[in-house]
Amino acid sequence: MVKGALFKKSIRDIKESLSQFISIFLMATIAISILVGLDSMGATMDTHSKEMYQSTHLSDIWVSIINPTEKDMWKLGSTRGIEKAEKRFTTNVLTNLQDKPTLKLYTTSEKSTLDIPYITQGTVAGIGGAVLDESFAKAHNLQIGDSISIEINDRWMDFEIDALALSSEHIFSIKDATTLQPNPEKYGFIIVNEEKIKEAYGGKKIYNQIAVKFTENVDEKQVMKKIDAALGKSLIGITTKKDSRSVGDVNGRIEQFKTLATVFPNMFFLVTALITLSTMSRLVEDQRNQIGTLKALGYSKRSIVWHYTSYGVYVGLLGALAGIVVGPNLIGKTLITQMQSLYVMHSYKIMLNMPRAIIGTLLIVACTAGVACYSCLKMQGEMPAVLLRNKQPKKGNHIFLERLPFIWNKMKFSHKLIARNTIRNKGRMLMSIFGVMGCTGLILGALTLDDTVRGIGKTMYGETYTYDHTAILDTKTTDKDIYNLHIKGVTQSMEETGMQVVAKNGERRMVRVTVLTKESPLVHLQDGEGRPVTVPDGGATITRKLAEVLGVSKGQTIQIKRIDESYEELEIKQIVHMVSGQGIYITKAFWESLGEVYQPTSLLIKWQSKDISLLDSDYIQTYVSVETQREGFEGNLSIIFIATIMLITFGGVLAFVVLYNLSILNFFERIRDLATLKVLGFYKQEIRALVFVENIVSATLGIFAGIPLGGAVANIIIKGFGENLDLVSKLTRNNILMAGGITFIFVIIVNVIVEQKIKTIDMLQALKSVE
Amino acid sequence: MSFITFEDIVREYRIGDSVIKAVDGVNFDILEGTFNVILGQSGAGKTTVLNLLGGMDTATSGKITVGGEEVSKMSERQLTTYRRNMIGFVFQFYNLVPNLTALENVQLAKEICRNPLDPKEMLERVGLGQRMHNFPAQMSGGEQQRVSIARALAKNPQIILCDEPTGALDSETGRIVLKLIKDIARDMNKTVIVVTHNAPVADMANCVISMKDGKVKKIKKNDVPKEVEEIVW
Repeated sequence: MVKGALFKKSIRDIKESLSQFISIFLMATIAISILVGLDSMGATMDTHSKEMYQSTHLSDIWVSIINPTEKDMWKLGSTRGIEKAEKRFTTNVLTNLQDKPTLKLYTTSEKSTLDIPYITQGTVAGIGGAVLDESFAKAHNLQIGDSISIEINDRWMDFEIDALALSSEHIFSIKDATTLQPNPEKYGFIIVNEEKIKEAYGGKKIYNQIAVKFTENVDEKQVMKKIDAALGKSLIGITTKKDSRSVGDVNGRIEQFKTLATVFPNMFFLVTALITLSTMSRLVEDQRNQIGTLKALGYSKRSIVWHYTSYGVYVGLLGALAGIVVGPNLIGKTLITQMQSLYVMHSYKIMLNMPRAIIGTLLIVACTAGVACYSCLKMQGEMPAVLLRNKQPKKGNHIFLERLPFIWNKMKFSHKLIARNTIRNKGRMLMSIFGVMGCTGLILGALTLDDTVRGIGKTMYGETYTYDHTAILDTKTTDKDIYNLHIKGVTQSMEETGMQVVAKNGERRMVRVTVLTKESPLVHLQDGEGRPVTVPDGGATITRKLAEVLGVSKGQTIQIKRIDESYEELEIKQIVHMVSGQGIYITKAFWESLGEVYQPTSLLIKWQSKDISLLDSDYIQTYVSVETQREGFEGNLSIIFIATIMLITFGGVLAFVVLYNLSILNFFERIRDLATLKVLGFYKQEIRALVFVENIVSATLGIFAGIPLGGAVANIIIKGFGENLDLVSKLTRNNILMAGGITFIFVIIVNVIVEQKIKTIDMLQALKSVE
Repeated sequence: MSFITFEDIVREYRIGDSVIKAVDGVNFDILEGTFNVILGQSGAGKTTVLNLLGGMDTATSGKITVGGEEVSKMSERQLTTYRRNMIGFVFQFYNLVPNLTALENVQLAKEICRNPLDPKEMLERVGLGQRMHNFPAQMSGGEQQRVSIARALAKNPQIILCDEPTGALDSETGRIVLKLIKDIARDMNKTVIVVTHNAPVADMANCVISMKDGKVKKIKKNDVPKEVEEIVW
């Protein structure tokens, strides 16, 4: 019975301050839904990608080597730490379909147990059949039983499609660093039997890769060192799982979700606690007499404290539960559609990370209940008699500013009043600053992110590269052949090869090494500060992100593995900033000084008078315009768009809830002051100004505080884009103004709404009663 | 020539379906520079009359003129201006702004009107010259009420309206406050209207308007009002 009455009181109290409790509820819901939503995305990707890896027996490393001997295989097989090693052949092949899309071809044999496809339809039948990428098949409307032609070693071969499949190596399926997003129309994979491929290579089986599975818990770097030693000169390089575009990107994305799920909700936790604090302090203050009455009636201290704490428990718990439902369903479902267009996995069932959801719930309830408990504990020391008596008017306090008479004496009264109020309600002020800061930060972060990502294409194909067309040269084409094409305009040839790079700490990567001629009119490298630089002789120029990944810096050395030669030690002469496509640059002269022959692989052209027909030459395999490249590179950025919208929405809700609360609380607390002023003859707008200047002040402070936060938000997200991209977010004046402007509009909207509410209150009534 | 006139003033409040006439056909005149008391039990409608006169409420029907201007016809903004320049208010619960010092509370009033009086002088006048920089919370009830009087005076209004100014004070302090109001008003030639349920206070007024159930029962002129010291309650 006792509990029943108090419970009814709680419900009615909550009803009376409904808008404030709704705010607490909303903040809690948002905090938890972001936490659980983002976290569930990470868990979803993590779970399903691991399932794929497991069921397809994904290798740990892939060793590139041309036609390994039986002895090589035996050596690897007997190396400690290696469980399995299998040979295969892989290369990019063209197809006969429209626009000649590329397929990554892998060979397999009946004995293969590593990197097997995840078959979704059909079964592998005979030697002449092929397993085709399911997404690629869908994009080209191919069915089981159809046949597909591919060009291997200058020879067209037909394969019947036996089965459609997914692949652990193609969850994130992009051809190379010239694209950011997968496009199943242009790229996919095909798996064929090694017996069949013999036909294209004069009846001999061909291999260029050894897939290796480690035994559990080995020092991978150590094993790779052993492999390196065992294979010696014939080793081309080792690709690790991290190196693999697909695995690397998937892991990066999982990490990104984890980071976001950790960082973002904190802001909302904080604001939830602050809102609860201001609401509950006010409520408890208002109910001073009631607390006295309850005490006088003989309620124990504990039951009274629990009574007020319970408000926080109910609201926080309800909010958290709503968040657990909303998070995965709203945030998760929105993101998952985007994820599905990027990552191809067997399942997209949303996984909930229950322990994290529970921890989040406990945290938010700790925020709301803890604060509620704290607000009423303050009043517990007093005797019931004291509580039943009317409270003395609130103490006024002199503030610091008054010691500066040259400022204080010049201030208007209304401003002095505001200054004192602000200082007195520090908590509330802080809450609104945090809220507005969060709002501006999220919006600015979103805008900056959008700008940064949209800028990549322009930077790459406008600043770094200034050609109109780029052509892939036929093997053995020389600079002289190029000269004989008689292209009118500026041309530049360069050699690009994939090479193994090993840092002193054992970190290794397969990277792109670009050999540039001394004059480089169409490739413009920049250092970290954006100053144009040229590639110096006598060492390597390395991109910043790669240097970071390898853990090396200027002046140190790295080793590169030359084909059929041993490792070469290079000094890092310079670090350059490259948005996309990390790698190493060296000069032609230096390349040749190492004993290599400069063999151009691509040709860049800036036309003076455009004549595409010149490119239809035997020396040129394919060519592409810079526009096409840029389009393919940027692809569809809807995922960034979605992220932007989500951030802005959260920012808006944050600002709205916080400011609404602040204004309403401010108003009710000062209703007597305001009524007094009204009676004294202050005009409406003067009174309004008094209420809202405080809002404006905190909004302004919050906006300024939000600027660095915006940069941080953008950086956190950008960091998660993987090893290939090196993005630098820049806070532009326009974006700052825009974010500040949007925030300010929210502030004004809130003010208008609160004003409507204020109008409904009878000020005269306020003067009659005693506080 | 009367300074304030109320002609057939009615003020109705609608609460749900029922209509309550707080003031029901009130007529009276008040001369400039006099000290007046509106007397009545609670619910008699006296505070409503004061609010109507102070421009804080508008009559349902009837005509109010103050110094030749028709207050009952004014718009809300005009009423605010009227309050600014014509009216000084003293409340039962003082209604000082807790966050401003005594001096600042007085300056607050001064800030908005045309011919303000010096706030410091006003505080000295009410005997608080030493306590100017104290906040309301640091003062006794009587002191707070004196600040509120100083605030009303600093605006240099023509009319001072007091709603139960002694209601929250003990009788000794109440007497001091009343005397202060009366003396200053006389010295400065202000018209004062005090609303109270405290019958003895009426003896110190030039004119006593007794109200009951929203109507004026009796208007009594005292040719020789008593001094505050002579009153006992």
